Amino acid sequence: MGDPGAFNTYYPTLLRYIGLAIVLCLLIYGTYRGLRALGVKPEAATGFSLITPWIAGRIVLTAFPILLSFYLGFTEYNILWDKPKSLQDPLFHYKYALSLKVMKFDADERVSIAALGKLDAEGPRIARYRELDSFTIGDTNYVIGATDPFFFKAVWLTLRYAVFNVPLGLIAALCVALLLNQSVRGIGYWRTLYYLPAVLPAAATALLWWWLFAPKSGLINWGLGQVGIGPMGWFTDKNLVLPSFIIMSTWGVFGANTVILLAGLKNIPPELYEAAAIDGAGTWSKFRRITIPMLSPALFYNLIMGMIAALQLFTQQAFIPTDREDGWFLNWFIYNEAFNSGRMGYASAVGWLTSILIIAITLLVFRSSTAWVFYESSREGEGA
Amino acid sequence: MTANTTTPATTAYHDPLARRRLIQTIFGRILIYALLLFGAALILIPFFWMVSTSLKTEDQLFVWPPKWLPDPVAFENYFDSWKQLDSIAPGLTFWRIMGNTLFITVLAMFGEMFSAAIVAYGFARFRFKGRDTIFFIMLSTMMIPATLTMVPGFLVWREFGLLNTYDPLTLPALTAWGPAYIFLLRQFFLTIPRDMDDAATVDGANTVQIFFYIMLPMVKPAFLAIGVLAFQGNWNNLQAPLIYLNTTQFFTLILSMQFFQQSLSKSAPKWHYMMAMATMMAAPILLMFFTAQRYFIEGLNVGAVKG
Repeated sequence: MGDPGAFNTYYPTLLRYIGLAIVLCLLIYGTYRGLRALGVKPEAATGFSLITPWIAGRIVLTAFPILLSFYLGFTEYNILWDKPKSLQDPLFHYKYALSLKVMKFDADERVSIAALGKLDAEGPRIARYRELDSFTIGDTNYVIGATDPFFFKAVWLTLRYAVFNVPLGLIAALCVALLLNQSVRGIGYWRTLYYLPAVLPAAATALLWWWLFAPKSGLINWGLGQVGIGPMGWFTDKNLVLPSFIIMSTWGVFGANTVILLAGLKNIPPELYEAAAIDGAGTWSKFRRITIPMLSPALFYNLIMGMIAALQLFTQQAFIPTDREDGWFLNWFIYNEAFNSGRMGYASAVGWLTSILIIAITLLVFRSSTAWVFYESSREGEGA
Repeated sequence: MTANTTTPATTAYHDPLARRRLIQTIFGRILIYALLLFGAALILIPFFWMVSTSLKTEDQLFVWPPKWLPDPVAFENYFDSWKQLDSIAPGLTFWRIMGNTLFITVLAMFGEMFSAAIVAYGFARFRFKGRDTIFFIMLSTMMIPATLTMVPGFLVWREFGLLNTYDPLTLPALTAWGPAYIFLLRQFFLTIPRDMDDAATVDGANTVQIFFYIMLPMVKPAFLAIGVLAFQGNWNNLQAPLIYLNTTQFFTLILSMQFFQQSLSKSAPKWHYMMAMATMMAAPILLMFFTAQRYFIEGLNVGAVKG
């Protein structure tokens, strides 16, 4: 049934796919022979040669692009150009992204954007400060200006989303996992049911919730109307963009977390609870002193994975066109800078800033883990 | 002793304290099931609404109060959405898009499965200098956001002259794309006793034979689990196709959905068509979930229990 053009587009890729597979097999074999010729032991030679496809892939497809991106961050590069141009001020993109200025205005004075001035750096375009936010202390009004307010809005939205969404999803999952752990009948069916939203593709979830949240004819506003709450502009109201995304994502993810936590709960030896019961421990202290520490590796795993996913949210945002003024998620912001505005240089610089932020947060969570994550093996180590 | 032979129910009947406890347990049970049912409703109503909307005609969409069941049932939404796409972007037909999506998904899935298995085998079963360092670096690459390689990745493939082909979406899979898959398989390879390799070596099997005939069958649950995860991951991937494909005939299912939403559905959302497409996109994944649920859960649990 496929149209005649289909095959012609598939088979070159298929040929290159098979070709690359053969090249990688030869790479493994060649590395093995080479290492053996150098007198490396068979075991070490085999082991190293087996991981060469990964090493080759990461050099060409990860390490090189990352270095290229670092270089591009200091250049001016439009998507339509063949080559990047050098910038008068190499740090222009970073300055443009990060410049913030706080100015004082009298209470009755209208905020004039021009008063904020422009960025003190030589660049391909004049970068004026624009209003990001304003606040009042006492009688004085302050205005925060930024050369790229959209970047700060993106950072702020993404961070708040990660901070609220991930713990919320974990708590919801923990509650359901504890319920399901109470020797409930037909646990397999319940587990399947609760896991269902996590298998629904993110694109379908996004479209579905956008429709459920539709301001005029959405099911949720109808339901709220039944209990006397007026229609709300989910995804369109500036203050509701973040809660809408959080509700949607929590619905989508807590089932997967539940399954992981449930497996963790099933792994806690019942003797621990029996021993605690003999010592006269109540339900709460059993939960606090046994369940949480024993479950902490699973909680930690969910936390890390959830954080990494939340900070890189993309698909949902691509399907739900929220207003740019209310903030876009970082990943979507960068995609648009690079491929819609065509500013590859700036997008690279912002990509670096974002990556540093994500890695810093992940490492912070990792560092915190020594304080609260409990590993069985480390306890045995102490005893020995 | 008689006390041991009486059932809890009869004890409860005679002993007021035990009876109170029994009533408490019953109430506890009712509460648990009530909460579970409430959660089930929260999950199922959106699902039901998606399918129900996908079968409604346009004038039923904005009926107030909303009607739960479509009447009349409009199965034609599933065909009309594609006819509309074909009318604004010639060549963007259901069969072509399905073919593209399956072509990419299947090639990438097999690439990821086999390359991850080979690399994980290397990490798990052989000792060599620097192995643990490389393994640690491999795990750290999980933190590198896709955002960082998005722009330079595009430029690299443009340099190769392979933009708007399926290569950027399938070839990288051959180089063991996912650190999580390698980690998962390595955990499984580690549990196989060393005697297995030794016995096979004594019998004259070489590394390739040991890998395909002994190791791979022994880690089959994990191997199939990453197959399922890789299929799901590639089927749902929007970011890469969005960057690398720009001719409508080359689109994947998720990309045509986004295209529909951005073009035909932009000013006045056509919810019935969008829900029909969402259902079509979800159906294969849900079907796979119901038939191979074990592998979905296997893939999830490894990180939790062994990580």
